[in-house]
Amino acid sequence: MEAALKAIAEPRRRAILRLVRDDELSAGEIASHFDVTRPAVSQHLTVLKEAGLVDERRNGTRRLYRARPDGLAELRRFLDELWGGQLEALKREAEREEKHARGNDD
Amino acid sequence: MPAETTTERLLAQREILIDARPETVWEFLVDPEKLLRWKGVHTTFEARVGAGYRTEVVPGNVAVGEVLELDPPRRLVYSWGWEGNPDVPPGSTVVEYELLPEGDRTRVRLTHRDLPSRESLERHAHGWEHYLGRLAVVAAGGDPGPDSFLTERS
Repeated sequence: MEAALKAIAEPRRRAILRLVRDDELSAGEIASHFDVTRPAVSQHLTVLKEAGLVDERRNGTRRLYRARPDGLAELRRFLDELWGGQLEALKREAEREEKHARGNDD
Repeated sequence: MPAETTTERLLAQREILIDARPETVWEFLVDPEKLLRWKGVHTTFEARVGAGYRTEVVPGNVAVGEVLELDPPRRLVYSWGWEGNPDVPPGSTVVEYELLPEGDRTRVRLTHRDLPSRESLERHAHGWEHYLGRLAVVAAGGDPGPDSFLTERS
């Protein structure tokens, strides 16, 4: 999960994810949307692929990329749980501290 | 409490009752060491009005803002946004914590204002910007609703 979080922390990789969300594109097609070198785009694609957010498919000599819905869904579940549990985590920690303080008062 | 979506800018609000005094809860909002026990992996938070902070909430994802109001142990207000995200840029939204004593307990009311509306997010952004908008809502304890990014596909 950490790999996915780090992958989407980079703005250009988020832009790439957006591009391949509905369309399967080659690295060259993806690179044409950005003002960066082709190797830089390939590097981003590798990171996204290793994080499980993008699928790669070979078609002859071309490699085609597309967002992987399962990877995105996993990421979303993780983040929803993390954030949803935040106030509960505050409650747990504050109550533990209070118990400790009250114990010392007795 | 569901997120309010009728206004152009989204507001998320949530409450929780904690079995601890406001003084105890307050420390968990402003003391960096205690803050990290329940939120984030790294923070430069400093309890001083005007102090900027940078909190790595989840690895690689950094929230940035500035302390706006400090009234211990009652009220904490700070601006909030994501580094590198044009939809919710650093300092673009406002987070407010109110601590309301109830006997020996504390009701914590968390309000997150000036979030981009779901509509405005969907008008011009898909993908991670959309997610960060949702995150901003759930970060405040709100309900971001069904995820159009996922439901549209299926």
